[in-house]
Amino acid sequence: MTEDPPQTAVKAGPSAPTHRRLSLKRGRAYGWVLGPVLLLAFWSLGASLGWIDSRILPAPWVAVTTGVRLIAEGRLLPNALVSAQRAGTGLCCGILAGLGLALYSGLTRTGGYLIDGLVQIKRSIPIFALMPFFMLWFGIGETMKATVIAVAVFYPVYIHTHNALRSIDLRYVELAETLRLSYAQFLRHIVLPGALPGFLLGLRFAIVGAWLSVIVVEQTNATRGIGYMVNLAINYAQTDVMLVGLVLYAALGVASDCSVRLLQGRLLSWQRTLAG
Amino acid sequence: MATYFGRLMAVLGGIVVLSAGATESLPLDAPLPDSVPPGTVLRVGSSTDLSLKLAGVADNLPFKLEVANITGGPGTINAFHAKALDIGTSQDIPAINAAWIGIDAKIVAIRLRQNEASTLYRFGIAPKAHIDSLADLRGKRIAYSPGQAQGALVLRTLAKYGIQKGEVDLVELPSTGRAYTDALAANLVDAAPIAGINVKRYEENYGKDGARILQVAGIKDDPSILWVRAETLKDPAKAAAIKAYVRAWARAQYWIDTHRDQWIDAYYVQDQGVSLEDARYILNSQGSADIPLTWNDAIAHEQQTIDFMARETGHKSFDAATLFDRRFETVAGAAYAQTP
Repeated sequence: MTEDPPQTAVKAGPSAPTHRRLSLKRGRAYGWVLGPVLLLAFWSLGASLGWIDSRILPAPWVAVTTGVRLIAEGRLLPNALVSAQRAGTGLCCGILAGLGLALYSGLTRTGGYLIDGLVQIKRSIPIFALMPFFMLWFGIGETMKATVIAVAVFYPVYIHTHNALRSIDLRYVELAETLRLSYAQFLRHIVLPGALPGFLLGLRFAIVGAWLSVIVVEQTNATRGIGYMVNLAINYAQTDVMLVGLVLYAALGVASDCSVRLLQGRLLSWQRTLAG
Repeated sequence: MATYFGRLMAVLGGIVVLSAGATESLPLDAPLPDSVPPGTVLRVGSSTDLSLKLAGVADNLPFKLEVANITGGPGTINAFHAKALDIGTSQDIPAINAAWIGIDAKIVAIRLRQNEASTLYRFGIAPKAHIDSLADLRGKRIAYSPGQAQGALVLRTLAKYGIQKGEVDLVELPSTGRAYTDALAANLVDAAPIAGINVKRYEENYGKDGARILQVAGIKDDPSILWVRAETLKDPAKAAAIKAYVRAWARAQYWIDTHRDQWIDAYYVQDQGVSLEDARYILNSQGSADIPLTWNDAIAHEQQTIDFMARETGHKSFDAATLFDRRFETVAGAAYAQTP
């Protein structure tokens, strides 16, 4: 699957005096925290020196102290749990639908004709614009909420899986034909590894999408959940609680993204790429 | 194919007949039934059912109460469209606006405030606006929400000070959450009607920068209502249940007025997570309930509002009495007054 591009690249350079690596240096384990840490440092410094108006953005430690208070009052965790349940339900339904339809539409012509066009059309309609209709169709209860989240999850899963399926290199398909693989073997050895990177990428978008839509649906008829908590805080002008909500969303988003990346690392260990 | 089509039509026809015959329709002028058939469910838009519980009326309701956390004009109208709500809670302007956009709905209870000297809304003035009195609004940018009570207040204030609509810049912005205080703080608008805790917080936060609060005198802006789609009222089971709910709601209002400290603690502090100080401020700004026993004054007031809004927004005026279901006229008032 890999050909060793670095060496060819070096040879191509006519007057390269030294052996120059074009691939990235070996990455550090937690290198990605650098950006966030710098931002946090800037925020803390700005807040303590009074550059950042606390009415516009409270100091980072306000999020911590308020968060601790909310946990002690028993507000934070139950709400987070409710939101997590909502996100989880929608995520499961959305992933199943996205994966199923992507396989059908990616692996068969009929499926492609039937589904892909519809998905592309629907993709350009923002979820916010759909909310009133979802209320008409699914009411204002949990069904509506789960559906909205599932729809938000469906698209990235579908699109990336479908894209990966359709871009499987024809040489591998021909190889499978030459080796006279059965259809099941073809799925197992060619389609699955070919589609997996796309699916996992879709999953990363999907998980963040699930959290984002939880915020949206919890604006309507919710009496629990982080979105509800933040909404209340908006109504009662409690900037500190709003900030906790923000931090919590970020933390949940990063945590779920990390878990998918971990999964990616495990499942795609055979890949050798620029990331190293 | 022909037989298949025939069968399909027969089945569809059967469904139409069945669904039409399923519930007998109650005319809107027939006396309200008292008995609520078992299994009746009422979905009420309200931020809480805690007041009903604390007042001790939640357990005796003759129907199943489902509370949907949807209140205020935009949310209620949306939910009415979706037929997702039996009773809506909002101020009076959304009901007028709903009539104009073709939703047939009736007011079944109305709540005024006992202390009417001060309006519910105040004008927040942006830090850099240099507005010292409301007469200075001429030429300024004012946050304006056409279908909400806030919008009506803006128009009435302009009319009161003899300012034409064309002389100001009405910035269309729905008043939800912190939209108005944020717009003020950022000097995106010069003036905006705000209420409740937003008034206090805005003054605290931006007073030192020059922000101020201006009172509007002599404008009645406070009717809040329970309202129901006419279609829901035609269902005898729902109509009877709504009557029972209105009664319970009025008793809960009475309980709140007579147990203010308990209400502040149980609802605002414990349930909603508001500080005691803020909670007191909010409840004070809401005042005690005035639930009238007759609606003549209320209807006259709504007629004025409708005529005024029709003139200002280019809609057709209509008879305010059609907004009210007078079969409910005494239900809330009597329940409020009779509570021991």
